[in-house]
Amino acid sequence: MRKLPLALLALCGGIALTAATAVAQDSGPLIDLLVKKGLINDQEAEELRTDLTKDFATNTSAGKLNLGSQITEFKLGGDIRLRHQYQETRSQNTTLTTNRTRERFRFRFNGDVQMQKGWSAGFALETASAADSGNQTFENGADDYSISLARAYVAWQPRNDLKFVAGKQRNPIYTTDLVWDGDINPQGVAELYTLSLGGKDTLEFRALQSIMDDNNEATAGRAGNDAWLFAQQAVLTKYFGGTKLILAPGYMVYSTSTVSGLTNETPFNGDTSNLSLVTFAGELEFANVGGGANSVKLYWDSSYNTEAADRVHKVYALPTADKDAFAWLVGIGYNHGSGKLQGDWSVRADYRRIGLGSVDPNLSDSDFGFGNLNQSGYKIGAAYNLVDFCSLNLTYFRTSDIRDTLKHAVAGLDKSSILQVDLVTKF
Amino acid sequence: MKNTVSVLLTAALLAGSLSAADKLVIKGSDTLGAKLVPLVAEAFKAANPEVAFEIAAEGSTTGIAAITDGTAQIGMSSRRAKPTELSAALAKGVSMKPTIVAYDGMAVIVNEANPVAQLTVRQVEQIFTGDVTDWSAVGGNPGKFSIYTRNTSSGTYSDWKELAMKKRDYAGSSQKMAGNEQIAAEVANNPNGIGYVGLAYTHVPGIRVVAIVGKNGKAVLPDDETVQAKSYPYARPTFFYTNGEPHGLTAQFVEFMLGAEGQSIAKEVGFVPVAKE
Repeated sequence: MRKLPLALLALCGGIALTAATAVAQDSGPLIDLLVKKGLINDQEAEELRTDLTKDFATNTSAGKLNLGSQITEFKLGGDIRLRHQYQETRSQNTTLTTNRTRERFRFRFNGDVQMQKGWSAGFALETASAADSGNQTFENGADDYSISLARAYVAWQPRNDLKFVAGKQRNPIYTTDLVWDGDINPQGVAELYTLSLGGKDTLEFRALQSIMDDNNEATAGRAGNDAWLFAQQAVLTKYFGGTKLILAPGYMVYSTSTVSGLTNETPFNGDTSNLSLVTFAGELEFANVGGGANSVKLYWDSSYNTEAADRVHKVYALPTADKDAFAWLVGIGYNHGSGKLQGDWSVRADYRRIGLGSVDPNLSDSDFGFGNLNQSGYKIGAAYNLVDFCSLNLTYFRTSDIRDTLKHAVAGLDKSSILQVDLVTKF
Repeated sequence: MKNTVSVLLTAALLAGSLSAADKLVIKGSDTLGAKLVPLVAEAFKAANPEVAFEIAAEGSTTGIAAITDGTAQIGMSSRRAKPTELSAALAKGVSMKPTIVAYDGMAVIVNEANPVAQLTVRQVEQIFTGDVTDWSAVGGNPGKFSIYTRNTSSGTYSDWKELAMKKRDYAGSSQKMAGNEQIAAEVANNPNGIGYVGLAYTHVPGIRVVAIVGKNGKAVLPDDETVQAKSYPYARPTFFYTNGEPHGLTAQFVEFMLGAEGQSIAKEVGFVPVAKE
């Protein structure tokens, strides 16, 4: 066998010493060029290729992975959140305030796979089985804790403007936690169509059919029906220079059924009838405020249940009032920096009011009034990036009831406050 | 008595080691193992009658695995070893050594009644990935493609994806065949058939090789000259993999393969010989 020339050995050594693992995968064209120039022959090229590949395979973690050829990108990530929580609550018709301190954590691990021909898939694992919270309270002397599957979906995007998603997935609906808790991943089918309006302006049409409860069809009546949520929405995104406007009107309706066995942190079993919600969310974001990547955002959300009176009366068996039908939220936030770099910080505050019949209590934020309806109050938050991948967050909720003297699982809270101190590390 | 036993044991061990040393186990690529290597082994055996051969041609993957597992002295492969195969081998203390033994042009074949005489590299990609489904899309008579490919353990299967399909997936309708001969036979029997085979299998009755139009716009047929010059787009080296530098009988056979007689046989059965320096 012919020995490699000294100059080539020097080149190989240089590659190995400087960036062998990085170069190994990309060395094909360089080796081909060396062959073409007559500096090495095919056999020497193969030996060089094999040596570099061995180096890549043994000295890099990527080289040890054996991914299917259909995969074009496999992204893994997640975060760990450590939380100290202090909470106070007082029920209606009592003067007794209860308080509690909780030390909690949340672990999330996500995988997102891009594949050929517009296919993609993903999964997410997280602590706790509740749909509306991944928090696990530290309890019972160094216990170990369970991991649940929070997402498992397949998506197909046959064209740039059209996408279908099936499975347990990220919420495709533009919303805030007034209507939809950010922890809840719907399960069903979603369709998304994007119409380009020129430049970055778009008009999107989003639809979701999500199963809320699977019942036994053999059972007669409402108890045998499956509970489905049908949500549809138009999302207009319009840019005016550095200012972005989003307007998102939508409509949500349920098939009528009973729901039971929910594992939400504050579960509301019952009935999905008389929920016919007209929603309107949006934001106005001013970018480059004061230079740099700073921005100010005004945001809002609302929900009006056209059948609120019937819902309060028939489902909750409570007397109705005009203010039960409407839920709304207005907020303002300031981001100093992009939020991705060390030293970036942000503050935000919103005020919201949730009428008794205005939203589905199984979907709205489980922290605001512990998921109770008939609450008004505010949420204030601040975040500071200790390093690029780790932030310290403070959040404070304070709520009080809108209507007094109601005795019901979804409306019996008089006052509440929660302080959360979080340390979030992303990986 | 003790001496007699030790002499007998030594004799038995020697006999055993000679027996093992005179047997060459070669596993792997069907492209190499169906014709070329058995003929070269036969020629080698003519000069070395004491040598026994065990040749199993079940795909390149099996050949590389056999070197890793130590169940063969030579692993035939029509593709390069993958990083995961190299790291798996290193984990077992095996250092894969590739030796190019011949070149192969992967020919695109159609039924001899098919009027299509040439295809662009883009059209080949479109056909095998399923982007187009009918011969009329590439200038042929109307009719759905019948695509024949090698099976997934074949080095040719993955080489074709890399060389001709930009690493994309095969069309869902493609049919996987066990070897080159089966692909050639199916295409010969199917007017809408299309497949790829090594140059050694292009003389089967009923098929025709299609010229490939590359980026320079010239139609090129696979032959010794175009494969060696790398002007034919679907040319590839074929390999013997060994655990480190070959030695002993293995080295003798590799040298024989690369020598005049071995390369002559390679040419006879349709491979392109390794160019002399």
